[in-house]
Amino acid sequence: MTSTHVSEQNAGLRVMWTYIATGLAIFVLMLLVGIVTRASQAGWLPLDPGSFYSLLSLHGVGMIVAMAISGLGVLWYLARREMELDESIAFIAYGFFLAGTVCVIVSAIPGRYGSLWTMLYPLPFVGTYWPSWATGTWLIGNALVMLGFMLWCGQMLGALLARYGGVRGMLAVDYVLRNRDFTQSGKKPPPPQMFAAAITAFDGFITGTVGLVIGTALIVHWMDPSVALDPLWAKNLTYLFGHSFANLTMYMAVAGIYVGLPLCTKREYHTSPPLVVAWWGTLLFVIIAYFHHLYMDFVQMQWMQFVGEIASYLAAIPVVVVTVYGGVMLVHRSGMRWSLGAMFLYAGMIGWVVGGIAAVLDATIPANVDLHNTLWVPGHFHTYLLEGVLLFILGWVFVNLEQRAQAASGLLTRWLIGVGMFGGGALFLLGFYLAGAFGVPRRYAVEPAPGPFFASLATMGALIFLAGFVICGAEAWRLARLPKRQAVG
Amino acid sequence: MKERRVIAGLVLFATVLFALVPVIRRGAELPTAQHHFVHALMLAGAALSGILFAGRTRGGRRGAVWLVIATLVPALAMLLMWPSKYAYFETHPYGHLTEHLALVVLGFLAGFGGERYAAGIGWAAGIGIFAMGMLAIGGYGVVRSVPNTIGIAAAPTSRANIGGLPNQTRGAALFAQNCAVCHGTVGVGGEGPSLKNERSRKSLVQAEAWIQNPAPPMPKLYPGTLSLRDVADVAGYVETLR
Repeated sequence: MTSTHVSEQNAGLRVMWTYIATGLAIFVLMLLVGIVTRASQAGWLPLDPGSFYSLLSLHGVGMIVAMAISGLGVLWYLARREMELDESIAFIAYGFFLAGTVCVIVSAIPGRYGSLWTMLYPLPFVGTYWPSWATGTWLIGNALVMLGFMLWCGQMLGALLARYGGVRGMLAVDYVLRNRDFTQSGKKPPPPQMFAAAITAFDGFITGTVGLVIGTALIVHWMDPSVALDPLWAKNLTYLFGHSFANLTMYMAVAGIYVGLPLCTKREYHTSPPLVVAWWGTLLFVIIAYFHHLYMDFVQMQWMQFVGEIASYLAAIPVVVVTVYGGVMLVHRSGMRWSLGAMFLYAGMIGWVVGGIAAVLDATIPANVDLHNTLWVPGHFHTYLLEGVLLFILGWVFVNLEQRAQAASGLLTRWLIGVGMFGGGALFLLGFYLAGAFGVPRRYAVEPAPGPFFASLATMGALIFLAGFVICGAEAWRLARLPKRQAVG
Repeated sequence: MKERRVIAGLVLFATVLFALVPVIRRGAELPTAQHHFVHALMLAGAALSGILFAGRTRGGRRGAVWLVIATLVPALAMLLMWPSKYAYFETHPYGHLTEHLALVVLGFLAGFGGERYAAGIGWAAGIGIFAMGMLAIGGYGVVRSVPNTIGIAAAPTSRANIGGLPNQTRGAALFAQNCAVCHGTVGVGGEGPSLKNERSRKSLVQAEAWIQNPAPPMPKLYPGTLSLRDVADVAGYVETLR
């Protein structure tokens, strides 16, 4: 290994660990905030509605940003193994993320901003119990995060286009449509994790552009209230950016499966035509899947509602089915040792499937009418983020730590973490799903019965999850302090 | 390469000519949506010339600074497209021209910066900045006629009708005539509540909506005593009270 190669790898690791450590630190903070809000709904903590909505707003944006920063770190490192990426841009983008996060925290804690992450126009400006500067700080914070994301996507897109000779190569079009010619010419398609990078960069660029339009418009309205916005236009753009950004956090983290599981099973995860086509589905449909958030907006054009239902299916189902099937086949009879890294990656796939099914149900118009305004929806995205994205990230972290030290965790530690994070997590999520099935409305500071009962279950589950997560953190710290025996990746 | 630059120059020249329209039209104002469309076309032309001027990027990427520029300028362009009836710049033809030329510079920088950074990124940034201009047509300072299901929604629509920013000096005079009896000479309160720091309780739009449709015992002076313009000016003055 040359000194240049070592320094290049160190630079990659520096970016990755900085992103992951920051993302997980924000995650812990937001986990505590989330537990406080749920405990308040359970009646365990006396929290006035104003404070509740401020904390809920902070929790919503904070969690998405935490997952996004961690996922972008993992994906950046994995993409850099295949092509040239500039460390300085990664850190400039990181600066934007950090500044944006600080703005959001300042806005919600001392500022008491409480119009939730969706900041749907005109809510941030109407009947507010917080000062005007808090609204501005919130909006500017979100815009900074979006600018950081645009920078990250711009860099990734530029590198992908250069590496694979344009969009055709980046998306492996010839590999799928002219497979025989392609393989006979001795060419190879991009590895699977590069599709995650391409979709994140491509759709992220579109999402970021839309986010900047609505973000700037809201900031202008804040500075000059005479600039009126069209509420339906604002809602469409807010969800196009917000829903797509939240969805993309999953696709960033999925890259961990394509590289992490092969390290555990000693088998390779190959690119295949079905996998590529499934990623094309995500590429095309993830940015219009948000229509299912507007089914009840009667002024929305009707054809968009039907397109939204189909897009919701096509964005998620093919890529989940192909990726999970490939992952399961990789593990099947591989003799894989169930280390923490392997456990997290495998359990993350289950979380992705469960959260995905709940999402597909919500995206189905007849079910949406009954479920969308209930706690079912938070149930779906908490499954997706907590038992999907987070586990993929932790899986990748532990695969690295275990490979680096050539060590694994003891059985008792794995059981404790498993019971805490999967068991506690399941109880926490059941609190949402069951409450949703009973019609408990979401976004209520004080829930009608049987909401408080399910909130109690969820709070207990969250506390058990927190205990498992603390043990997980301690185990990561122990593994990180062991002497390095092998370079990873 | 030379032909490419000639084409780029022609595109830029045509875009700048297009930007001169407000001077030629001498202040004749377009509706906001059409104005956004004109801006989007200027941004597209400027971005295209930027891409062509940048030429082909060989040997990988060229400096993070170009990517940062290409990422930031679209947000600045959106700020410049601030559609408050173009009160600051566009009441004067040369002010309006300056704003248009600034948009041309920003569009150019998006295309040029992106393409200088990496081949293809200029096109992405150019399409992005054009798309932002086009998206603005849908609702950035443009409100479609919808049923007024919540009272406050009426205010933005009516403000769009009267145009311009509130005249706070005029608002102060109207306040002294019509409101000071109850709210005190500088809004310190009296028979009616204090209006100090009203800005932290109500936005301008909310203040206007309240004056138009107050709850008793506050008298309803609109549309009898106060016009829509008067309401806007009084609300603008009230928002300044500290």
